[in-house]
Amino acid sequence: MTEEEIIEKTNRVFEESFEIEPGRLKADAHIFTDLGLDSLDIVDLVVALQSSFGVKIRTDEKVREIRTLGDVYSFIARVKNGEQD
Amino acid sequence: MSLRRVVITGSGVVSPFGEGVKALMDGIHNNSSAVKYMDGWDQYVGLQSLVAAPVDTIDEKRIPRQKRRSMGRMSIFAALAADEAIADSGISLQAEDLWRMGCVIGSTMGSAKSINDTFETMLPDKDLSRLNSTMFFQCMSHTAAVNTAQYLGLVGTVMAPAAACASALHSIGTAYDLIRLGRQDVVLCGGAEELHPTVTGSFDILFATSTGHNDSPQTTPRPFDRDRDGLVCGEGCGILVLEEYERAVKRGATIYAEVTGFCTTANGIHVSQSNRDSMTVCMKRALAEAGISPERIDYISAHATATVQGDAEEAEAVRELFADNVPISSLKGHIGHTLGASGAIELIASLMMMKNSIIYPTRNLENIADDCSGICHVTEPRSAEISAILKNGFAFGGINAALVCQKV
Repeated sequence: MTEEEIIEKTNRVFEESFEIEPGRLKADAHIFTDLGLDSLDIVDLVVALQSSFGVKIRTDEKVREIRTLGDVYSFIARVKNGEQD
Repeated sequence: MSLRRVVITGSGVVSPFGEGVKALMDGIHNNSSAVKYMDGWDQYVGLQSLVAAPVDTIDEKRIPRQKRRSMGRMSIFAALAADEAIADSGISLQAEDLWRMGCVIGSTMGSAKSINDTFETMLPDKDLSRLNSTMFFQCMSHTAAVNTAQYLGLVGTVMAPAAACASALHSIGTAYDLIRLGRQDVVLCGGAEELHPTVTGSFDILFATSTGHNDSPQTTPRPFDRDRDGLVCGEGCGILVLEEYERAVKRGATIYAEVTGFCTTANGIHVSQSNRDSMTVCMKRALAEAGISPERIDYISAHATATVQGDAEEAEAVRELFADNVPISSLKGHIGHTLGASGAIELIASLMMMKNSIIYPTRNLENIADDCSGICHVTEPRSAEISAILKNGFAFGGINAALVCQKV
């Protein structure tokens, strides 16, 4: 999966699940302070990412380290493509 | 201990006629029917009744996403109706002691669609990982009350009486008690309900739904009519603002009416069938609490859902207490049976009738059934000064409820 595909699919999750305008979806946007997500939203983010990318990430400890949208892209790339940090 | 007086100072509705009290009353005034054929319901094997009274369009995006995400359909109805009720009351939430302001909204159960979606998501593969974070908050029994209180920031008593189709009257009765006992000063109260094939199905399997009008939806339900063949489910929410009388007067609020009597009884005989004797006791006790005789009631808002057995029982109970002296009508022919919301939506419509000195008829009542005769059916709109209303509500489980409201 290419980086562009990951970004496009991830951004679609944020638009559809959290009603965030595309213009606000920057890699350095903090998902809590900039995009307004909270702890319940993180549960839904995981469910939506699992569905969109066909992955199992619910118990992945690295989820807890996600802070920015860029972190989400990297996290998915690692899980999907087996990339290492 | 002296009990405080309780008055109604605001109302809000989402009904099958749309959003707002005005849409509801316009629909009733025009003698319209909100009942329609439900596309897609024929895929449910064994479902015989394919008609319902849905709420078509609502502006749910008005509710911020993080407040809305835990709301199923019925909670969205409740939040929108609560917005209207608060605005109508003239209360400014910013100026209120919100610890003295409660929220009591009942429903038959949690959001039917959300409950169905939860199990449809989870059960095929017995996989919980596909469930999102807020499904439970949509499914829980107090979902409408909790979500409305969260939406408005109310921090007083939040409760959700669940008594199937009597839920709204139980909520209003509870709110009345909370205020007259001095525990709260203002309470938003009412009922909410949403349509789903499984909801209609719960009545359908008991042969309680209307099944003979799938090709002519607007001719059913037919309360008290000779050819009635069962109920038609509707959806929506009615919210009333109940307020302590002195406080309401002091702030110059518009007072629709005073709640003067409430009673709820059970029949102890049958879980699904209505029972005239327990209904009569319930109405009598509500009147006794209000301190008025049956002749003082000017309008009875019937529960009458158009089931063969239920309508006959209610008619008999009303006949015993009121003979044919008090005008009675049912609004189910206009908006279907909005179940846990019906008591509140129909009470609000009755309060508007009181305000406008008019009584609207039972839609689809063309030939009064023999077993529903001997009471004062309203079959055409009529002008009438209304000083006192009796609102009936009956429910599965053998539950009866009756509420008396009087002009102040």
